[in-house]
Amino acid sequence: MTPTTQPRFVRADGPDKVTGSGRYTADLTLTGMLAAKFRYADVSHARITKLDTTAALAIPGVFAVLTAADVPDVHFGPFVADRTLFARDVVRFEGEVVAAVAAITPEVAQRAADAIVVEYEALPVITDIEDALGAGSPLVHTGWSDYGAADPVVRDRNDASFSSITKGDVDAGLAEADHIVESRYVADGCHAAPIEPRAVLAQWEGDKVTIWTSTQVPFDARAGVCETLELPANRVRIIVAHLGGGFGGKCGFHYEAHVAALAKATKRPVRLLFSRREEFLAPDRRREGMVIDITTGVRNDGTITARKAWIAIDNGAYTADAGFFPQLAAMHVAGPYKIPNVHVDAHLVYTNHQPSGSVRAPTAPQTCWALESHTDEVAAAVGMDPVAFRRLNAVDTGAVGPSGQTYGEIGVQQCIEEATKLVGYGQTLPDDEAIGVAIGWWPSFAVPSGAYLKLDGDGSGQIITGAQECGTGAVMTLRQLAADELGMDPENFELVYQDTSVAPYDMGATGSQTLFNNGRAVVAAAGQVAEQLRKLAAEFLEAAPGDIVLADGHAHVAGSPSSTVSIAELAGIAAGGELLIGHGSGAPPAAPPLAGSSCVGDLGMASFVAPQFSCHAVRVRLDRDTGVVRVLEVGAAHDSGTIINELGALGQVEGGVMMGVGQALTEGTQYDDQGRQRNAGLLEYKLQTCADTPVIRTHFVQINTPDAGPRGAKGLAEAPNVATAAAISNALAKLVGKPVRRLPMTAERVWEAMQS
Amino acid sequence: MSFTIATSIEDALAALAAGARPVAGGSDLVVGARHGKAPLPDSIVAIDRLSELSTITLTDDGLRIGALATHAAMMLDATIVASYSALADASALVGSPATRNVGTLGGNVMNASPAMDTGAPLLVFGAMVELRSTSGTRSVSLPDLWVGPGSTSAAADELCIALVLAKRPARSGSAYVRLEYRRAMEIAVVGAAASVTLNDDGTAGHVAVALTAVAPTIVAVGGLDAALIGRPVDEDTLAAVARAAAEQSAPISDLRASDSYRRHCVGVMARRAVEAAGRRAGGEAIAIPVNRAYGIGASR
Repeated sequence: MTPTTQPRFVRADGPDKVTGSGRYTADLTLTGMLAAKFRYADVSHARITKLDTTAALAIPGVFAVLTAADVPDVHFGPFVADRTLFARDVVRFEGEVVAAVAAITPEVAQRAADAIVVEYEALPVITDIEDALGAGSPLVHTGWSDYGAADPVVRDRNDASFSSITKGDVDAGLAEADHIVESRYVADGCHAAPIEPRAVLAQWEGDKVTIWTSTQVPFDARAGVCETLELPANRVRIIVAHLGGGFGGKCGFHYEAHVAALAKATKRPVRLLFSRREEFLAPDRRREGMVIDITTGVRNDGTITARKAWIAIDNGAYTADAGFFPQLAAMHVAGPYKIPNVHVDAHLVYTNHQPSGSVRAPTAPQTCWALESHTDEVAAAVGMDPVAFRRLNAVDTGAVGPSGQTYGEIGVQQCIEEATKLVGYGQTLPDDEAIGVAIGWWPSFAVPSGAYLKLDGDGSGQIITGAQECGTGAVMTLRQLAADELGMDPENFELVYQDTSVAPYDMGATGSQTLFNNGRAVVAAAGQVAEQLRKLAAEFLEAAPGDIVLADGHAHVAGSPSSTVSIAELAGIAAGGELLIGHGSGAPPAAPPLAGSSCVGDLGMASFVAPQFSCHAVRVRLDRDTGVVRVLEVGAAHDSGTIINELGALGQVEGGVMMGVGQALTEGTQYDDQGRQRNAGLLEYKLQTCADTPVIRTHFVQINTPDAGPRGAKGLAEAPNVATAAAISNALAKLVGKPVRRLPMTAERVWEAMQS
Repeated sequence: MSFTIATSIEDALAALAAGARPVAGGSDLVVGARHGKAPLPDSIVAIDRLSELSTITLTDDGLRIGALATHAAMMLDATIVASYSALADASALVGSPATRNVGTLGGNVMNASPAMDTGAPLLVFGAMVELRSTSGTRSVSLPDLWVGPGSTSAAADELCIALVLAKRPARSGSAYVRLEYRRAMEIAVVGAAASVTLNDDGTAGHVAVALTAVAPTIVAVGGLDAALIGRPVDEDTLAAVARAAAEQSAPISDLRASDSYRRHCVGVMARRAVEAAGRRAGGEAIAIPVNRAYGIGASR
């Protein structure tokens, strides 16, 4: 294997996307295609007393109106089966689908959706996560003990999933402390806000359905269709065109089954196109609002003796994939620190808000923001520089973390060193500027994945993979791994991907897992073809297969470069005999063991496989008259193991930082007192723009990580989104004189903090 | 539904007389319809090809800006940049390059949003609106035109032809600043425009201030003369401007800001606008838009 000589590898889908020739799901049309529209609940909690579709069906051009009565009575959900395709009896958030229409045009479909008669009996609307945990609170799901659920899920009234981490004796640890610092931080929910609103197109042929959909997780989408419409996997084909961003918002199974059911009922292809407003209101993929209480005991010398924390996470009306959020949040509030005594309780709380789900590094940006803002408060309590305090207390190679995991080689200390250097931490600044620093971590997700690789007779190759591209470029990097394994050029390979009926399973563009797991699969598949090539070359060159080297598009005998044959020629020979086909998966690494801790509601997140570490140092400027904050410069240092595709990696960091700036300053969902979103549009939900982008300097700490992915790579897609908001908070606290304890730290909230 | 394309002003006026609504850039009409604010009118006349309405001409009486002048044109026009800088400041802040290239001044003025960026500059320049219909032409002041949010005193068959801005005296400067939470695709949370003319001794001779997004229409700040005329533009006078602006504003609470925060910030914007206008009047070059030069979000 020769590492590629193209460290700034350009993605293969770039020209398509830049020139506009690339096709997204919304660009696809089929003959006779109908348009789908949904009728939503519009109220946050109510019992359906009347549902009448007669008037809608009578509108000319309407082909079908479906409700819960028209699909199998199936409850689904990855952790708690609390969901149905259409509302049954009770609606629990404003974006819940009550009915679906297929009609000749979107306008007719919308008119029909509006013409459906739905009457409700109001039920109490539950919006406050702390109240919802109270003994007297009404329940979002009254009969949910009867729902199916994953074994470790602890359920209690509105507490949809509870996790705790306990290590040592937290009360004894606090008793040993010279100072005890208590903080409360509150984060608003926010959105993934991909620029492409989702689209789904379904067409039946006999008893098989093909669904084109803008999903990050085609196999998950397929599983959802199979479960809810009661179909075997081999009769459902999910294809994804170019995906216009996801950021986690397009993970999970959403509307593929609704559209498939409409297509079946009408015997026509049916397409659903979401408006921007629907993209905000309906999917179960909002970033969760949280309340975070942290208490830390610290000695005068700066050593942390104990940490106690309580977390409530807004689950919304249904559990989606948020079941593991409490344990993940518990890990993030403990943080990458050497703390001997830890107790964290974390609750996932049902409310009548839109359901939460995995948005880029779920729970991490908010929890890291709270923890790292708190950490600066703790450092101040003992009069230590916040960077020196982190150097003293952060985990390091060989250290034991807060959940009892002993780390192999890790680079968090190097990240602190490099990030602070990138922005000149310690320099003298104008009095309206300050630098804040925060550290973060994130696991790599080790899961099964598969790929095929073939070389055709002309020597060109195809990688057929289940991996999904969501804009990260990770799938593009698979070409590089295959090429290096075979001594070829990445340009020799085309990718066949995003089609569940063609490629083996992959978890999708989720959990920063593509390169980590599918990279392993592609390397294994390429390895099989490499073996075939070596055997062929050995026969051709009259040498032993073990002496054959594959490099520069040729096979040659080790030590005699003149004894050579091109891989294209070998592929031509193979085309007349045994074809060059490889398949690979490889076993995912197991989770490292934990010692000395216990976890209630353990969903496997207390042990981090190949953990990634980061430190962000951010220079900000504060307009003291208005509270408006500008982020001027970000130094981002990341230990994500080996960087295989530098250009892609830089893109991940810069994108993650900008998403973090938005979460820090401008992106937050506002609700009315009935739990309905007030800013479900891009004018009032303020994403950051190119014009707001600071200078972003990135450094990769590349160390030899145990249990890593191909060539020592860890994940990278989510890690850059973890620590930015926290670092901004710490810079801001220096300028305001205290932390702004509410996320996003909007100009008005900053101004209010300055007034009090 | 009917859609016609006017090839002359007379065409357009005839269409309006027959009940059509005009569309130029469509940045309010079309966007508003898409967001369910108001449905598209049944009858539309496109006036975007009337090139005679897009000229910007300096005459002996002042500056005449055709109703179809785009924000992109105004932010770059040499006369506007040099002598009517507040309008260039405001034009440069509108939306995005795409919005600035289709959005027109006439559309802005007739849309009558209290959050429009170009409104406060026009008000401090005392701009007159030229309205024309098949029955004639009349000239209306902006306070007479704007009667409420999205509402004007113009008759349905009147077309905005041009904005006429009086000639600028020597030693004059102007500026527009706004509170914004991000640097593009933004709408004013609050804003303020100022026009300052200095006396020979450097004291203020004339000061006008107008405010954005703190009342049902763009509003002028009254009663400044006593506090400012004959005095230098300094910390004391700027504080008086801020106080007057805050006191005279009547902001609402909405998704963008609370009324109390708006009231505070409009004072900050007003003092910054007057300060920048005064510095420009004194000959200092401050780049367009002042928001960036001041780094709103930065120092005062």
